[in-house]
Amino acid sequence: MRKLLLMSLVLTLTLLNQAVAQSKTVSGKVTDQTNAQGLPGVAVVVKGTSVGTTTSADGTYSINVPANSNTLVFRFIGYLPVEKTIGNTSTINVGMALDNKQLQEVVVTGYATKSKEEFTGAAASVTGEAIKDRPVQSFAQALTGQAAGVNIVQPNGVLNNPPVIRIRGINSISLSSFPLVVVDGIPIATGDASPNSAANNPLGDINPSDIESIDILKDAASTSIYGSRAAAGVLIITTKKGKQGKAKVSYDGWVGTGVAARLPELLNAEQYVEYKNEAVRNALSVNTALVPTAQRDANGVSFFPGEGNVDTKWYDEIYRRSVSQNHTFSVSGGNENTSYYFSAGISDQDGFIKTNSFTRRNTRLNINHKVTDWFNFRGNVTYSNSMNMAPQTGSLPGTSFASSGLARLALVLPPNVAPRNADGSYNITGSNTIGQGKNLAAITFQNPLPIMDLNTNTSENTRLISNIGADFNIFKGLTARTTYSYDRGNTENIQFWNPQHGDGWSWGGQAFNSTARRENWNWVNTLQYETTFGEKHNISLLAGTDVQKTTVDTWGSVRQTLTDVGFDLYQAGYTTNVAGGNGISYRAYESYLSSLNYNYGGKYFLSANFRRDGNSALATKQRWGNFGGASVGWALSEENFFKNSSLANTVSNVRLKGSWGRVGNGNLPSDFGSYSLFGTGLYGDISTLAYAQAGNEFLSWETSDQTNIGLDLAFLNNRITFETNYYKNDVNGLILEAPQAPSKGIPGNSILQNVGSMYNEGLEFSLGATPIDRGKFSWKTNFNLTLNKNEVTALAGGNAPIPGVTQLETANLTSVGNSVGSLWVVRTNGVNPQNGRRIFINKKGEEVQYLHGGGANAWTYLDGKVASAVTAADASAMYNTLPTWYGGFNNNFTYGNFDLSIMFTYSGGNYIYNGTQAGLRDQRFWNNHTDVLSRWQKEGDQTEIPRPIFGDNVSNGSSFPIDVNVEKGDFLRLQNTVLGYRLPAQLFGKTGISSLRVYGQIDNAFLLTKYSGVDPEISTNGNSNLAPGVERNTVPQGRMFTMGVNLGF
Amino acid sequence: MNILNKTNKKYLLRLALLSIPLAPMMSSCADDFLEAQPRTSVSVENAFDTPERVEAQANGLYATIKSGAFLGGRYQVYNDVRAEEFINRLNNGVTGAWAYAHTIGGDDTYLANFWITGYLAINRSNLFLEGLDANATKIDPAKLQQYKGEAKFVRALTYFYLVQIYAKPYAIDNGASPGLPLRLKGETGPDNNGMARSTVAQIYAQILKDLNEAEAELPSNYSSGSLNTTRAHKNTAIALKTRVYLTMKNYAKVIEEGNKIVSANAPFTSPNRVAHALQSNIKNVFTNYTTTESIFSMPMTNNSAPGTQNQLGYYYNGSPNGNREYYLNVNATGIKGIYTNSQFRDTDARKTDLTATISGQRYVTKFSGVTPFTDWVPIIRYSEVLLNLAEAEAEVGSQTRAIALLEAVHKRSDATWTYTGTTKTDLIDAILTERRIELLAEGFRTNDIMRRGLAIPSVGAGAQIPVADSRYTFPIPTREYQTNPLL
Repeated sequence: MRKLLLMSLVLTLTLLNQAVAQSKTVSGKVTDQTNAQGLPGVAVVVKGTSVGTTTSADGTYSINVPANSNTLVFRFIGYLPVEKTIGNTSTINVGMALDNKQLQEVVVTGYATKSKEEFTGAAASVTGEAIKDRPVQSFAQALTGQAAGVNIVQPNGVLNNPPVIRIRGINSISLSSFPLVVVDGIPIATGDASPNSAANNPLGDINPSDIESIDILKDAASTSIYGSRAAAGVLIITTKKGKQGKAKVSYDGWVGTGVAARLPELLNAEQYVEYKNEAVRNALSVNTALVPTAQRDANGVSFFPGEGNVDTKWYDEIYRRSVSQNHTFSVSGGNENTSYYFSAGISDQDGFIKTNSFTRRNTRLNINHKVTDWFNFRGNVTYSNSMNMAPQTGSLPGTSFASSGLARLALVLPPNVAPRNADGSYNITGSNTIGQGKNLAAITFQNPLPIMDLNTNTSENTRLISNIGADFNIFKGLTARTTYSYDRGNTENIQFWNPQHGDGWSWGGQAFNSTARRENWNWVNTLQYETTFGEKHNISLLAGTDVQKTTVDTWGSVRQTLTDVGFDLYQAGYTTNVAGGNGISYRAYESYLSSLNYNYGGKYFLSANFRRDGNSALATKQRWGNFGGASVGWALSEENFFKNSSLANTVSNVRLKGSWGRVGNGNLPSDFGSYSLFGTGLYGDISTLAYAQAGNEFLSWETSDQTNIGLDLAFLNNRITFETNYYKNDVNGLILEAPQAPSKGIPGNSILQNVGSMYNEGLEFSLGATPIDRGKFSWKTNFNLTLNKNEVTALAGGNAPIPGVTQLETANLTSVGNSVGSLWVVRTNGVNPQNGRRIFINKKGEEVQYLHGGGANAWTYLDGKVASAVTAADASAMYNTLPTWYGGFNNNFTYGNFDLSIMFTYSGGNYIYNGTQAGLRDQRFWNNHTDVLSRWQKEGDQTEIPRPIFGDNVSNGSSFPIDVNVEKGDFLRLQNTVLGYRLPAQLFGKTGISSLRVYGQIDNAFLLTKYSGVDPEISTNGNSNLAPGVERNTVPQGRMFTMGVNLGF
Repeated sequence: MNILNKTNKKYLLRLALLSIPLAPMMSSCADDFLEAQPRTSVSVENAFDTPERVEAQANGLYATIKSGAFLGGRYQVYNDVRAEEFINRLNNGVTGAWAYAHTIGGDDTYLANFWITGYLAINRSNLFLEGLDANATKIDPAKLQQYKGEAKFVRALTYFYLVQIYAKPYAIDNGASPGLPLRLKGETGPDNNGMARSTVAQIYAQILKDLNEAEAELPSNYSSGSLNTTRAHKNTAIALKTRVYLTMKNYAKVIEEGNKIVSANAPFTSPNRVAHALQSNIKNVFTNYTTTESIFSMPMTNNSAPGTQNQLGYYYNGSPNGNREYYLNVNATGIKGIYTNSQFRDTDARKTDLTATISGQRYVTKFSGVTPFTDWVPIIRYSEVLLNLAEAEAEVGSQTRAIALLEAVHKRSDATWTYTGTTKTDLIDAILTERRIELLAEGFRTNDIMRRGLAIPSVGAGAQIPVADSRYTFPIPTREYQTNPLL
C-alpha cells in the first residue's frame, strides 16, 4: 500500500513537473545503418525519464522532451543502442547499427545458451537468413560450405534425397554418421523415410524459412551434454520467435527453374550402329558363339539404323526443365510480455527428372508469454504435409543396377530405337523389353516412358511437431525449465507398378502400399543456477533429465496380378495378396545430465558436462553409459598486460581454448540387436520357425574420445576474425556387423559387436573479414577450410576388411591403415598397342591381358602364355574416398540498395569410383560414351579404350571394378550466387510496405573439376559409411535459377 | 518466527508447481522403459516351448533350402545353363549370364547365396539337433526321432548339393580333392570362423552317415500326399542315397538302395512304404504336385513364392509373365543341345507338352509362366530314381533290368520308342541321354556331366571345359575367404 502511494506521488510530481517546465518537441527518423531503411518500432526514450515513444512504420518519431533533459536513447532489439545529445536541435536522425554480438555471437548448446565469449568448445552457427531463400527441400541441403568442419554432399538431383552430412569426418562404420538433429529441443528422425523410389527426407517437413539459426556443435565440449547421441556432432535448429515491437508481416517467395547439369556425351544413332557392328565383327573373329546366330545376319551384322533413321535423345525423354515455386508468409511481433511468430508456407517444386516433385504445405505458431515475473510459458507447434513423388530413378541407395532405373536407361538405351511407335503407342515388346527396332541384337532394357507415365511412387508425410515448455525463476539465479515435445508423423507410401511394362510386368501389375505411424516424444527438465560472487567469479550450474521414446509401427501389403489390367490402384482387384512393409520399432533413451560453467572475470573459462545415458537398443547389462567432457579457455586479450600493450591496437581478441570429452553413438541399426531370435515364415502354407538373428548380450556403447584445441583471433576491432581448431576424434568400441564366415551359417553372416576403432584428425580454419566498409559500399568475406584425415585402426575378426557394396558390385573396402570406405580395385596398365587388349595387373603384380570370348585363352601373359583369370580378388589398389580438404568461400557485397552474394565451395583429396563410366564403355548392346570412338583399331594404336568385342564386360570394368574408373574428386563450385536490390522506401508511400527486395539467384552456376562423371559431389549409396565415393548410374545434380522477392510490412 | 512468511510461501508455491511435471516423469521411467522386447519374433530361450514351435522349426529347415536363392529355383537354373541345353537371351548377370558364360567370380552375389543359404540350412539343422537333445524331455519320443531324421536329411541334402558345385567330382580321385568346411556344430556366436576344407570323401561320408541315420529315424510316411512330397520320409532318404552313390560311382550300393524302393520288374513301383510310381502322363507331374512320383519337392504358394528372378517359369517360359531368359539350344552345328537329339523324338510328350515355340525360339514350358510362379520345384522324382538304378544296373548289374527301367521312363512319354542299342556303352549313353530329356530344366545337367568326370560342353563359353579348368567348379565365395582364415 505504501508502495502504491509512493508511486502515485511520483507520478503526480512528474505530471506536475511536465506541466510546469518548458518542454520541446524533437522529431526525426531512425534508419538501419546498413541500408538506410526506416526502422519501425524503435524505442525512443528521454534518458533518465520514463518519457518515451516508438517509431512508426517508416521509422519516424516525434517526442516531447522535458526541458531539463538533454539526451535521447534509441533502443531496438538486435541493434546497438544509440544515445544522442539533443542540444538545440529539433530534428535528430539516427542510423542504428546491427549488434553483431547479440545477433550472431550466441551459441545454442542444447540445454542452454551461451555467449560466444564464454563458449570454449567448437561450434559454428548459421543464420536462418543464409538459407531461407535457397531452392532446397530441406534446410540441411543449404548448409554446404557454410561452416568449417562440416561437409555436406547432396547425393544427386532426386528431390528431397537426404544429404550426406559429415561433421569432422566419418565417425562410425556401421552406425549412422549423420549428426543428431535437434529441433527446438527434440531430437528428430533423419534418413529416408520412404520404402519406394520417392526419396523422403523427413527434415524436409520443416520450412527452412521458419528457422532462426542452426548451431553445429562439433567437439565433445559442446556435444557431450548430448552424451551417447553426439558422436557425429549435433545440429541444433532453433525456429523463429517474435520480437518485441510492432507486428512484422513478411512474404518471401521465389520461382525457379532447373536443368540437369553435366550429362555425359553419348553416341548418336549413326555412331552407335557403326561402333556396335565393329564390336560384333571383332567378336565373331574371336569366337562365333559370342553372338548367337539369331542375333546377326549372314554378313555378321547385328545393328541397323531404325525406321526413318531415328536418333533418339534419351536424355530428352527423361529429363526436363523444371519449374518450382515457394511462398512463405509470416506475422511476428510482441510486447514486453508476449511474443509470437506465425507462418504459413507452400513449396511446390518439380525436379529436372520428369514426374519428380516435392510439395510441402506447412504452418507454424511459436509463442512466448511471460505470465509473471517468475513464470514464463513457451509453445511451438508446426503442422506440415510433404508429398514426395519420384519415378524409379535407380539413384537411391541399393538401386543403381535396377533394370528400370531411369538414370541408367537414359545412358544405355540405343539411340537407333524410338520411344514410341508411329501410332503413338509405346515401343515395347510382349516380353518386357523395348522394341529393338531393326536391330537383330537383342535389346533387353526397358522403355522408360511407360515406367514414368504409368507407375506411381509417392511417400507423403503428415507431421505435427509441438513443444510446450515453461521456465520458473525460483529465486534470483535459479531457473527450472521443463519442455515436453511431441513429434507425431504418419508416412503413407504408395507404389504402383503397371502390368504393361517395367518392374510390374512380371507380376501382372503390383501395388505396394504401406503406412508408418511415428510417435516421438521427449521430455526435458533442467534446473539451472547462475550467480556471480566476489565480483569476478561467474558460475552456472545445470542439472536435468531427458527422456525420449520413439516408436514406429509400419504395416502394409503387396498386391499382385491385377484382375483387370486397366486398373492402376492398390484398391483395385488382384489375385495375390502378400504381406509387405510390416514392422515395429521401439527406441527409448533415459538420460541424466549436468553441466558446470565457470569463468573468472571473463578471462578464464572452465566448463564440464556429464551425462548418463540408457539406451533400449543395447544389451540389458550394458545399456547404461557415462559420457562427459571438459573445456578450458583463456581470453588473453582481456588481460591487462595485453590491453596495455601496443599489440592491443591491432589485435582486438585473443582466445585459447581446449577441450576433451567422451561421447557415444547410440544409432544402432536394430532396436533388438542384442537378442538372439527365431523368426517365423512359411514352408508352402505351413508355419515355420527358424534361427534368424545371432544376438550379442555384451553389445555395448560405441564411444568417441574427442580432443579439440582452438585459437580465436580478431584484429582491427574485430574487422578481421580468425578461428582455428585442431581436433582428434578417437572412435572406440565401434559397433560392427562383424562379418562371420558364411560357412558358419549365422543369419545375415554378421553379429553386432563392439570391435574396431578409428580416428579422425584435422584442422579447421575460418577467416572472416570486412575488407571494405564505406557506408554505401561494403564487402564482407568468410573463408573456411577443413583438413581431415581418417584412419581405421582396428576391425573385427582379426582386422578382417569389410567390403562396401554398391548393389551388385563391390568397389569399396574398409581395412586397417586406410580411411573408411576406401576404393579397392584391380590395377590395370593401359591397352596393349599390339592387340588392343586391356592389360590387368594380378595379385602377384604380373601383367595379364584379356581377350573376351577367348575361352581357355581369354587370360594370357603378354608373351601369350595362358594365365589365371584376373578377378575381383586381384584388387590391389586402394584410394581414399573421403575429402582430405574442403570448405567454402563466401562473399557478400552491398552497394547502396544492391546486394550481391557469391559462395564458392571446394573439396578434394578424395577419389571417386566412376562406375557409370564402366557402364558407358560396356560392350554389350548398351549405348556408349563418345570417348569409345578413340578405341583401339589396328596394331600400334595408342589408346585407353580397348578393341571393342561385343559382349565384353570385363575390359571396361563392369565385371569387377578397375582403376581406370577411379578418378580424383577435386573441385571448385560456384555453389550459390544472389544479386538483390532493395527498392527505395520512398516508392512505397502510404502502402504500408516497409521493405521490398527482389533478387535473382543461381545455384551450381559452374563447376571446375577434372572429374569426368556427372558430379564429384555424388553419393550413389547415400549416407553409407562403407561404400562412399561411388557414382553408379545416378542422375546428375541440377543447375537452378531462381527469382524471388522479400516483402515486409 | 513465522516460517510461512510471504516470501517463503511464494517459494513453496513455486516448488509445488515444479513438482507437478516431475512426478509423472518418474513413473514413466519404470524399469521396463528401456526394455525393448521384439514382439514379432521368438527369443532363443522360448523356441522349444511348445510342440507347435518344435514342429515349426522342423519345417523351418525345409523352408531354408526352399529359398528361391537356393533350391527353390536358382540353383537348378545355374546348373542347367552352364552346359549345352540352353542359350541365354538377355545377357543379364542377375539371371545367370555369368554362370552361362563361365566368367562368374567368387564375388557374385547369387553364387555366394548358394553357399550362404546352404550353410544357413546346415547351421539351422545343427542347432535344431542340439536343441532337440537339450529339450528331449519336452518332446514326444516318436516326434523327437522323426525331427532328428529330418534335420539329418536336410543337412545331408544340403552338403550334397554344395559339394557338387564347389568341389571337384568325387569320381575323378575318389574324393581326394578339397571339399567343403564340414560344419556339424551349431554356431551362434562370433567364434570358430576358421575352418579348413575337408576332403570331398569326408563330405560324402558325412552325407551317407546322415542319410543312413535319417532312414532309420524318419517315418515311413505322412498323413497326406502333400506331406509325403514336402517332408522327408524313409523313401526320401533312400532315393537321395541312390543319387549320392551314383555320384560316387558306387553302383552296387545304388542297386542295393534302389531295390528298397523299386520293384524287381516293370511296372516299377516302390514295394515299401509310400508307393512311388510313375504317373501315366508326365504333364500331370507339373500340375498335380503331390503324386507318388514326386518324392521330394519344394512347395510354393502365393505367400511363399520363389521371389523375383528366382522362378523357373520366369527363366524358361514366356507368356504372360515369363521372361524367356533362356531358350533351348537347337544349333545344328557345334555344341548341340538335347532338343535335337535323335532319342528326343517329335512324338515325345516331353517335347510336345513341355516345350513350345515362342517368338521364334523353343522354350521349356514345364513350369508355368504365370506370376507369382508357384510351380513346385521338383528335387527328387521317381523317374530319376529309376534312371539312377538303370545306370547302375547297366554299369555293373543286369542289362535287361537296365533297359526295362530306361524304357519305363521313356515309353511313358513316347510309347512307340524302343531301345535299339547293342553294347553296354550304348546303353549307358542312352540312359544318360534319357536323363537329359526327362530331367531337362530340373537342375541336373552339369552335375550329371561332372560326376562322370567329363568336360562341360558350354554354349555360353563357346568351349569344352575340362576337369582341370578352374571354371569347372564354381568358385567359393570371396566372403568365405575373407572371413575364414583356415580355408
